[in-house]
Amino acid sequence: MIEIIVTILLISGAAFMLLAAIGITRMPDLFTRMQAATKAAALGASFIFCAVAFFFSELGVTTRAAATIIFIFLTAPVAAHMLGRAAYLLGVPKWEGTVTDELRDRYNLEKGTLSSKSIDSIKKIPVYKQP
Amino acid sequence: MNIAEFTLLSKGLTVTIALLMAALFLAFIRLIKGPTLPDRIVALDLIATLIMGFIAIYAIGTNKPVYLDVSIAIALTSFIGTVAFARYLERGTKND
Amino acid sequence: MNVFLWNIILALAWALLTGHFTVNNFTAGFVLGYLVLWVVLSGEAKSSYFKKISLVIRFAFFYIWNLILASLKIAYDVITPRHRMKSGVIAIPLDAKSDLEITVLANLITITPGTLSLDVSTDRRVLYIHAMYIDDKEELIQEIKTELEKRVLEMLR
Repeated sequence: MIEIIVTILLISGAAFMLLAAIGITRMPDLFTRMQAATKAAALGASFIFCAVAFFFSELGVTTRAAATIIFIFLTAPVAAHMLGRAAYLLGVPKWEGTVTDELRDRYNLEKGTLSSKSIDSIKKIPVYKQP
Repeated sequence: MNIAEFTLLSKGLTVTIALLMAALFLAFIRLIKGPTLPDRIVALDLIATLIMGFIAIYAIGTNKPVYLDVSIAIALTSFIGTVAFARYLERGTKND
Repeated sequence: MNVFLWNIILALAWALLTGHFTVNNFTAGFVLGYLVLWVVLSGEAKSSYFKKISLVIRFAFFYIWNLILASLKIAYDVITPRHRMKSGVIAIPLDAKSDLEITVLANLITITPGTLSLDVSTDRRVLYIHAMYIDDKEELIQEIKTELEKRVLEMLR
């Protein structure tokens, strides 16, 4: 019984990770790539750690697997948020199918502030160049 | 508990490793292709998560739960690495 | 009271990560957690913690279910050759006020597949998110506000 559960969890976890990898190669711009990569990968990793917890079914292993899952779900959004913000500030090109961009022209890069209303920022977001 | 007793599970492990290898290959394509630095960082982050998965599967395959500590360490370092990269990129925008 | 709870959580985390649930190990975690809290804390937080636990558990189930649904939606878009998505950056007016509320809300939005929080305005009135499926902007904003923000505020206030 445990064998079946572990196998299903492992394969579905690996399938989610493969999905993340397909997403990262197929998606048209950075933000959609991040959407596809970070979440599906975190979900896949937590499935695999669930499988580990079921397979060993010892207290020490289960708690470590649970701690790892919690850690992944705490850190993945923070990393994605910081990277997304940095990429937006760098002016990474967006997909041509992008419908709206309400963040545009709201950064004041001199003062380092972000307005909640549309303003004419002193410095526009630059065109992306390799740092 | 020995892995050789489970025929279904050992087949499942082979399939899982094959899927993860394919994922690793695709992530490497994105890492090489770019086109921007943040894309590469996202690919590196994904690769770190994939390697965590590999190590967890290896722990099942060899029946040694000690390897889980390695994947916890990789989770910690990859998070710190991504955050450091993001800070570095953002500093580049504020100074010029 | 609340600080005491945090201390217990830190001690538990220590016991989880080291993998030994012995009294000695738990005490060591408690002492370490005490030191960490002594360094980190300033000011005081609020109590009334225990009646909210049922809210948290219900939210957890609702959220995990939502997570899987949204993942499948994106999976469909990743696998099929055409992109059906309409991505873009939209502004969400915030009712959440404190640091903790905004942090939790932004993290939950980021974990949900299809939305990614980018930044909060300096006056904290607006959260900017990147969304993959903007079929109807108002509807998306309403969905996030009623399904996520309202529940988060219920839990944290």
